Amino acid sequence: MFAYYLDLALRSLKRNKGLTALMVLAIALGIGASMTTLTVLHVLSGDPLPGRSATLYYPQLDPRSLEDMRPGEAPPKQVSWMDGMNLLKAGRADRQALMTGGAVAVSPPDAAIDPFFERARYTTRDFFPMFDVPFLYGHAWSRADDNNDARLVVLSYRINERLFGGADSTGKVLRMGGKDFRIVGVLKPWRPAPHFYDLMTGDYSNSEGVYLPLLTATDLKFPFNGSRDCWGNSANVDQKTAQCTWLQFWVQLDTPAKAAAYKQFLDNYSRQQKSQGVYQRDPNVRLPDLMQWLDYNQVVPSDVQMQFWLALGFLVVCLVNTIGLMLAKFLRRAGELGVRRALGASRRSIFAQLLVEAGAVGLVGGIGGLLLALAGLGLVRMQATDYAPLAHLDMSMLGATMLLAVVATLFAGLLPAWRACLIPPALQLKSN
Amino acid sequence: MEIGPILSTLRRHKITAFLLVIEIALTCAIVSNAVFLISQRLERMKMPSGVAEHQLVMVQMTHTTPARDAMARTQADLAALRAIPGVKDVTLASQVPLTNSSSNTEIRTDPSQKLPTLNATQYFGQDLIRTFGAQLVAGRDFRPDEYLDYAKVIHNLDLVRTQTSSVVITEALAERLWPGESALGKRIYFAGVETRVVGVVKSLVRPSLFEGDGGAQWSMIFPLRMDVNHASRYVLRTEPGSRRRVLDAAARVLRQLDPHRIILEKQTFAEIRTDYFRNDRAMAGILLGVIVALLTVTALGIVGLASFWVAQRRRTIGVRRALGATRGDILRYFQTENFLLATIGIALGMVLAWGINLFLMQHYEVARLPWIYLPAGALALWLIGQLAVLGPALRASHVPPVVATRSV
Amino acid sequence: MLKMTHLSKVYRTEVVETYALRDFSIDVKEGEFVAVTGPSGSGKTTFLTIAGLLETFTGGEYLLDGADVSGLNDNARSKIRNEKIGFIFQAFNLIPDLNVFDNVEVPLRYRGMKSAERKRRIMDALERVGLASRIKHYPAELSGGQQQRVAIARALAGSPRLLLADEPTGNLDTQMARGVLELLEDIHREGATIVMVTHDPELAARAQRNVHIIDGQEVDIAEEPRFHADHATGSHA
Repeated sequence: MFAYYLDLALRSLKRNKGLTALMVLAIALGIGASMTTLTVLHVLSGDPLPGRSATLYYPQLDPRSLEDMRPGEAPPKQVSWMDGMNLLKAGRADRQALMTGGAVAVSPPDAAIDPFFERARYTTRDFFPMFDVPFLYGHAWSRADDNNDARLVVLSYRINERLFGGADSTGKVLRMGGKDFRIVGVLKPWRPAPHFYDLMTGDYSNSEGVYLPLLTATDLKFPFNGSRDCWGNSANVDQKTAQCTWLQFWVQLDTPAKAAAYKQFLDNYSRQQKSQGVYQRDPNVRLPDLMQWLDYNQVVPSDVQMQFWLALGFLVVCLVNTIGLMLAKFLRRAGELGVRRALGASRRSIFAQLLVEAGAVGLVGGIGGLLLALAGLGLVRMQATDYAPLAHLDMSMLGATMLLAVVATLFAGLLPAWRACLIPPALQLKSN
Repeated sequence: MEIGPILSTLRRHKITAFLLVIEIALTCAIVSNAVFLISQRLERMKMPSGVAEHQLVMVQMTHTTPARDAMARTQADLAALRAIPGVKDVTLASQVPLTNSSSNTEIRTDPSQKLPTLNATQYFGQDLIRTFGAQLVAGRDFRPDEYLDYAKVIHNLDLVRTQTSSVVITEALAERLWPGESALGKRIYFAGVETRVVGVVKSLVRPSLFEGDGGAQWSMIFPLRMDVNHASRYVLRTEPGSRRRVLDAAARVLRQLDPHRIILEKQTFAEIRTDYFRNDRAMAGILLGVIVALLTVTALGIVGLASFWVAQRRRTIGVRRALGATRGDILRYFQTENFLLATIGIALGMVLAWGINLFLMQHYEVARLPWIYLPAGALALWLIGQLAVLGPALRASHVPPVVATRSV
Repeated sequence: MLKMTHLSKVYRTEVVETYALRDFSIDVKEGEFVAVTGPSGSGKTTFLTIAGLLETFTGGEYLLDGADVSGLNDNARSKIRNEKIGFIFQAFNLIPDLNVFDNVEVPLRYRGMKSAERKRRIMDALERVGLASRIKHYPAELSGGQQQRVAIARALAGSPRLLLADEPTGNLDTQMARGVLELLEDIHREGATIVMVTHDPELAARAQRNVHIIDGQEVDIAEEPRFHADHATGSHA
């Protein structure tokens, strides 16, 4: 029966080519626009480390002075050097890493390439295993290297391509900031989106080109890149003693029980700092997990959200449009349907026949919408925003597009099909 | 025109008429809001910077290793840049409007105040006001003897704590801190430092609008000399026509003077502005695209439904023609019908537009929709409706009266 | 009132031209009730559409109420239809979306009449056909005979000089048909000129005079039908 309905549907669609084209175009435009924005939204609000994000936490402490205190205020978004080091040394989590952003002047071994400035991450070594960073060559530096000012570096895939043409460069020496560093590892292409571990250097920015041990970089006074928030009246000369927050501290806690225990630990730590006169404020700690942290920081740009609402409104207009056109199309065939009813077609079969026709429109519209969404994402990628390169359609969104198109069109077909199947049986074709 | 019979006909085609009304209402609501959003973005992109935009260029550089005698290096750089033909003024600025990287501080107008008054940005740099072309509207620029070296100050804050230093602020900041009063001679306190306002500039926008557009003009300028280890942006003032040439020359000169230097960026201020507002431009473009697509879909929908109605009423039209209706009468019938539907849709759409605006105001940084955008949306929909119905209506008017006599 | 001389109507396609009327003449005097009869395909409907200015003709002359109508433009023709002619169709042709009152009002609207005047005429016309109590009903709620009475009321409301009826009882059963016919006779007695097209000889017999059309030409009913060399509607390649 389905094949028969499909055959009827195709004939009917062929009969009024103009009207069919209008419906398909409306569906395609609506689907194309909504899927473009939905894909961008999906990419931007996605989980940067699926499977792992639930065990990653971002401890927040409040070391600020009583001055400027607003009641109920959230703790700072970063930690100070002193707190970061204390927590790192306490080592209460399964894994922990203290880090900050930077920029280094790279002098390529190949003199033909001009020196350039590259974004760097200064971090302790757990960064790599904790965030599951994939290595192409070599490995991370050792835990011991974190503390002995080791001149070691891990290169990103991109920088290794640029400097060494993609060859295994581990063991080679790279000159940065006027100092020599030995390359211990090269990463595979890695770009978590959002750039969750440091939202101060751009929510969707590309990953850094080089990774250096935190202590090495800070001892060499390599340039800092990020946001620094200070309190009190100190001169911010020495980053390590200054009353400023400027580092990110991440911990891995494998079970909820450990997370609860860690939060208790943070609370105790704050209490202890206060009793020693280091902190002025009462304990004010938070321990959001990765997704909570992203949510709290509202990383998805409001423009992208607004575009999504806009596209949704557009889709509704397109659907209303399609309902109207389908109603017109079905009622135009009132005579034919009346005769079918007279010849023994049940209401249900008329309804099914018309829904198949609606579904066919939806399917074609969906394919059109998919092409439009691909074109739309191409346009998004041409924008100069830092999330632009991320706008790609994955398999799940592809499936969602087709599903949305067919479901939306079937939904749009419900009312017209219902109206049309109420047509009473008639023995002659009569218009008006 | 015969509105009564048209309404009575529409009452007999409730669903189709209703769908068309809903479509027009939604379109009208979205279009009004989108047009408003576009105008907001365009307005934002015109935000005054307070600097001589057509004359400024910027070169950002950095050293592979910190310069040894940074102040001497800086003075040599400045002298060489000043020697480039066409350069009128040059400064090494701690920060530049609309380039995102900024230094900000919470300020108070009374040292005993519990909470700070607001967060303002701080500009440092020798001859910065003159080079930027900021327009002084009260007081004076800094005297040469007021300048201190930034590098020395951050190593010894007592240099600024033991004396009251001078500050120049913007008109907007002055009005916010001391409404209706002259700001000259007033004190601003932050981080244990007391400063006195000696001058007011008309405007100077912040490098980064991270606190929203309301405080865009809350800027302060201090008499501090930067050096190449603490600042990276040379700003040069030149003739509009020679910006490109000066920019290239400046980059060349800076590289020649110190080979351990990397030029990170060279931009005219026009490029800086374009760069800074690129998201707004992109958004405006997207909104425009949606408006066009929406109006197209709605127009096509009207064409489709009107065509259907014409086909359905072919015989009726023939009868009307036989009873003496002229072609013009038939044409006007369909035009009036569309006008009626559009009007109902527009009325509904205005309410909806207001609702959408409320939603956007609640969730995003969107202002209240000025009423003027409502008639604009209405006019657009009326026009689109009349244009779209013209084709089908003309076809209807050409239905020959003789169809009345044809039996089916 | 209605005078056609040597009138012809040719339908042309790329390959053939078909004469629907050829050399057709008729003269209907004021106050006459004329029935035009003929088998189907003979051209009677074409005659009616031309008489009612629904279509133009190819050759010959047509004087309506003494005025030549051949050179008139579409708007002028509309005006004449509206003011001088009343139509009664086989399929009633009421507008299904309008109620009885609004249907009768249609031609008056196009005449630009004042509302009070329209209302008076509509009620007069509906009373004349005995349906004044049904003004709020829609066509679908009426019987075929009632629908045709509404159509007649619509034709009468504009006080036309000429009433053209096309198989007015074709879609009605015998009893309803009789009622409609009696109504037409009444209207004729009151002085209206009526031209009725029908293929029903019984109906035609009620008219004062019969005109018979065969193959697009008038045949005097008193004479024997003439034979044509080209019997199947004259077509020339």
